[in-house]
Amino acid sequence: MALGQDEEAFGHFGATGSYALAARRAMHEFNTGPETWQHIAVGQRKWANLNPLAMTYNRTMTYDDYMNARWLVEPFRLFDNCLVSDGGRAYIITSAERARDLKHSPVLIAGLGQHNPAGYPQSATFLAGPTGARIAGETAFRMAGITRNDIDACQIYDCFTYTVEITLQDYGFFKPGEGADWFRGGTIEPGGSMPVNTSGGQLSEAYFMGLTPITEGVMQLMGRCGKRQLGPQTGTNEPEIILCSDNGGILQCNTTIILRRA
Amino acid sequence: MTTYTKPIPKINDDSRLFWEGCRNRELRFQKCGTCGHVRWPPAMFCPECHENDTVWITAAGHGRVYTYAVYHVPYHPGFKEDLPYVVAIVELPEGPRIFSNIIGCTPDEVSCDMAVEVMWDDVTEELTLPKFRPMTLSNSEM
Repeated sequence: MALGQDEEAFGHFGATGSYALAARRAMHEFNTGPETWQHIAVGQRKWANLNPLAMTYNRTMTYDDYMNARWLVEPFRLFDNCLVSDGGRAYIITSAERARDLKHSPVLIAGLGQHNPAGYPQSATFLAGPTGARIAGETAFRMAGITRNDIDACQIYDCFTYTVEITLQDYGFFKPGEGADWFRGGTIEPGGSMPVNTSGGQLSEAYFMGLTPITEGVMQLMGRCGKRQLGPQTGTNEPEIILCSDNGGILQCNTTIILRRA
Repeated sequence: MTTYTKPIPKINDDSRLFWEGCRNRELRFQKCGTCGHVRWPPAMFCPECHENDTVWITAAGHGRVYTYAVYHVPYHPGFKEDLPYVVAIVELPEGPRIFSNIIGCTPDEVSCDMAVEVMWDDVTEELTLPKFRPMTLSNSEM
């Protein structure tokens, strides 16, 4: 990853190292770290265990499994990292009018926001937030005419566990450092009050870049998710509105998409 | 003679003076002659005001660890013997933040905001890398 400097001479390579730098600064600025991230890794794995397409469908994960996994680039252990996947995903966009005549029930794009604070990671002052998610989220909420309280579930770009925390934090689901409590008790899991990454996400289903979260948001609103379908069978809200995110660089870009059942 | 097996910087016209400075044990940066912004990485134009009037300054050679990461995996075979090693973004009082390594202490002893000072690692006859170690007492009193 070209970060604009000769960082490879110092042994700095790829996304894991760069996000580890961001996560370490966050640990310095507010209460976060593996104690928080374990809830993201384990919670998403529970969703993957309901998804036959997930790479980890047959592999459960306990908190001990998470904590006992080897370091890759500290503070990230193995299960803080997304999967490496070969495969494909697609979604089709057409007019709402045309979509109403199709076989599957349509899903509407209710709001969009994008914010790119940009710059090189080493000159960034937002590695511990606020990232682009804050302004992109506000823009998308405004366009959709909703508030955070209207969201039934989130599909968050999860290249690393920390990415999920900082993105939800910047959307305002909790204040800096309060994720330690917010994620506790199964908040994002089946049966939880705010399901997150219900396919298992990139951590536990498959890494298809921004398509992993958005296609899951669409499928959930279409009601095509089988055993992991949001609603009574997973002890969650029947979804009307799902928030999806994508981000790029080392938190330099964020896109927020609000999907709504037609 | 042992062969240096790690990646070496791709030196270009923008960065040549920085790397020549390292060989002379000087940490040099470009400063915008118009707005005074000290920039990194080296470039033709100031990223703040887009002017190309540029002067080079020599930094004092100390700073603070903005953040760091401890590598436990050799993504390049040249670093296998160094594991675990620390990559850091070091914030300099002159303004720039640069990638480097923290050496001279164990990874457990590194923390964000700790004071560090440059030390020069002559890795080949042509290349000197600026690395940082915990600030020694005599220097921290300066």
